[in-house]
Amino acid sequence: MSNLIKREIESPNERQNRHKAMEAIKVLNDLREGFKVPPQSMEYFYNLFEEVYCHQKALHKGKVKVGTMCIQIPSEIIYALDGVPIRLCNGFYTDDEIGSDFLPQKACPLVKASVGHLASQNITDKPDMIYSPTTCDQKTKAGSTIEGFGYDVVDVNFPRTKESEISREFFRRSIREFSADLSSKMGKKLSKKNLKAAISKIGYAQSLYHRLSEFRKSSAVPILGNDMFLVTNAFFFDKIDNWIGACEKLVSELEQRVKDEVHVAGKVSPRIVYTGSPPIFPNYKIPLIIEESDAIIVADETCSSNRMFNDRVAVDEWFVNDMVDSLADKYLKACTCPVFTKNDDRIRRIIELVRSYSADGVIYQAFAGCTVYELEQRSVLEAMEKAGISILYIESDYSPSQHGQLSTRVEAFVESLKIKNRKRS
Amino acid sequence: MKSKIKDLINNMNLAKVRFWTQLVTFVLFVYGGYFAIDLGSELPIFACPYNGESAGACYLIPLQHQLSMPAKVLLGGAGISVIVGLLTFLFWFIFLNKAWCGYACPIGTFQDWLTWLRKSMGIRYSTYTQNQFEKLSKIKYILLAIVLLVPLLMGVGALDSDWSAAFCKICPARIISPMFSGDLSQWAIDFSSITAMVLTSIGMIFAGLFLAGSFVKKRFFCFFCPMSALHYIFSSFAFVQLKKDGSKCTRCGDCYSVCDMQIKDIADDVTSTNILRDDCIMCLKCVAACPEDDALHFDIFNVKAFSSTKEGFEKRMGIEKPKGDRDE
Repeated sequence: MSNLIKREIESPNERQNRHKAMEAIKVLNDLREGFKVPPQSMEYFYNLFEEVYCHQKALHKGKVKVGTMCIQIPSEIIYALDGVPIRLCNGFYTDDEIGSDFLPQKACPLVKASVGHLASQNITDKPDMIYSPTTCDQKTKAGSTIEGFGYDVVDVNFPRTKESEISREFFRRSIREFSADLSSKMGKKLSKKNLKAAISKIGYAQSLYHRLSEFRKSSAVPILGNDMFLVTNAFFFDKIDNWIGACEKLVSELEQRVKDEVHVAGKVSPRIVYTGSPPIFPNYKIPLIIEESDAIIVADETCSSNRMFNDRVAVDEWFVNDMVDSLADKYLKACTCPVFTKNDDRIRRIIELVRSYSADGVIYQAFAGCTVYELEQRSVLEAMEKAGISILYIESDYSPSQHGQLSTRVEAFVESLKIKNRKRS
Repeated sequence: MKSKIKDLINNMNLAKVRFWTQLVTFVLFVYGGYFAIDLGSELPIFACPYNGESAGACYLIPLQHQLSMPAKVLLGGAGISVIVGLLTFLFWFIFLNKAWCGYACPIGTFQDWLTWLRKSMGIRYSTYTQNQFEKLSKIKYILLAIVLLVPLLMGVGALDSDWSAAFCKICPARIISPMFSGDLSQWAIDFSSITAMVLTSIGMIFAGLFLAGSFVKKRFFCFFCPMSALHYIFSSFAFVQLKKDGSKCTRCGDCYSVCDMQIKDIADDVTSTNILRDDCIMCLKCVAACPEDDALHFDIFNVKAFSSTKEGFEKRMGIEKPKGDRDE
């Protein structure tokens, strides 16, 4: 009797994988099929995300994986020491729910998801060590929670007033300490040669991003904002050489598309600059709503995308210490994260993006619980009003609910931009 | 065609261009005398005539000389000579602005060569802290005051003739420059009077500090240079300017970190368009190290002659396609 029906009980990990695969494939299918003409070279990225998040493919077997909790850990140094940086910022609702057991209910979903993912121990490219920069309160405190799960977590001191010379000196020291720590763990020394090569490699990856962005300035936009988020998101965990190869192909395809004036949106689709809490795969909730509402994201100001690639490292004398200091400067001085006391730079960046990408409006998303973005909303809105730029502020989280009210608000905003454009022309 | 030339300039290897320009100007100003070149004595650089082969003279020499005339003479007809001297100095100055420091001053060039020497020995440069910087960068105004006030005090009879060319006596260029043509005689203390003895001793100390200082600190002496202070008074009249478009600046600090003079405003000030500061030597390394299109630019008659560009930045920082293993 009993062998007629074979029942297997799904383990928690299997269930987690299944749920995550569902979340992932839904977004991927939306991107693959929900829009007109995605670039062919995007196939690499769709497949990559499917392999990693639906089939749990490990990419870095045999390599030392260095987890980073935030953008401020120089990946150049990790690559120079033969490690692989894995950015642990997470976008899964499934993991967010697991994380809710460890953090306050009103905490940021991104931090909860990152913690939940690590708590589950169900990680394909499991980090051998984790560096946690003391950026926002929640990430800072998450470090010790994660340590409790048995990970090797090292806090990296990060200052909160970036204007002052003290902060600059402070973070330089902090990064020197980080490189010494990593260097001893890896049993390898930073040298002029390996660090310069790593800086040059990341610099080249950045230049590809800049070229991709340049295409989005044209009136016929050759790529969706969501696709771009996917490309930059892949940089969190992909093999860097593969990523570079795939981006080179994308660059040449988009170059052709710009020549042929291929436009992925409608003729009157408003151009949007996206800012706020970072959309991290598969939480493309708001970006998808935007582009499904007949608008197109032409640029963004987020730490999962623009902020990761925009600013470059300049070195005057190529000694190891100079390179390390310059790296520290780049990760501090150019950063427009809202954790800083003042943040005129972020406002100036948004306005500059609106101008240079001829955008019609800005959409500012903050995760409910992402205090710093919530706090900064007021000043950004004020500044945009002053500059005469339309802006919509939305609060959201990782849950699959609220879709209706969010899309209504976004659609209304997009519609108002269209009317404005019509009046102008 | 026009855009091609523009790209060529914006993508140039500034370090190389500067090296060769400096070499040529160094030869011109230090050894010009051998070719019977004489550019007069109102040059806005430390071309020191204590070196017999110099092709001209630093303006501070005639300036001190003229101001030391008895007050009556100075306020009479001789005042004209002061004005003519100043106008001649300005004539030279307005062409290059502070780029005289970064591209033509032999003493500046010599410091860059000491920097090169240090670099090739694998020694890292030193910097001042922000506090030290703020204090030290005022010294050049004190030295400028010495250049101007000591001769005037001589003119009214408050100081005796031992104070003549007082700044030259303490100036390291007086001691260093003649060495370029093999003359070491300035490495001496003048015992003719107590004043001369004290001043020339200070000069020896300054020269020693100059050599040691510029070995460890990029453009060590330029912080203290009274000529640089004098330049700054007139810099806004010059034909060439260093400009900044703050809206394009992300304050990443790349310009600041390559600045030999540690000028913080270059990175942090996003409101001024004229970003030339008193310590600036207009070497344009900041423009070369800026990764934003047109955020920093060097203008000739308000036309952008050399602008920061992404492409130029990548070329100069040696960013190129890496050789890596890809899975196909």
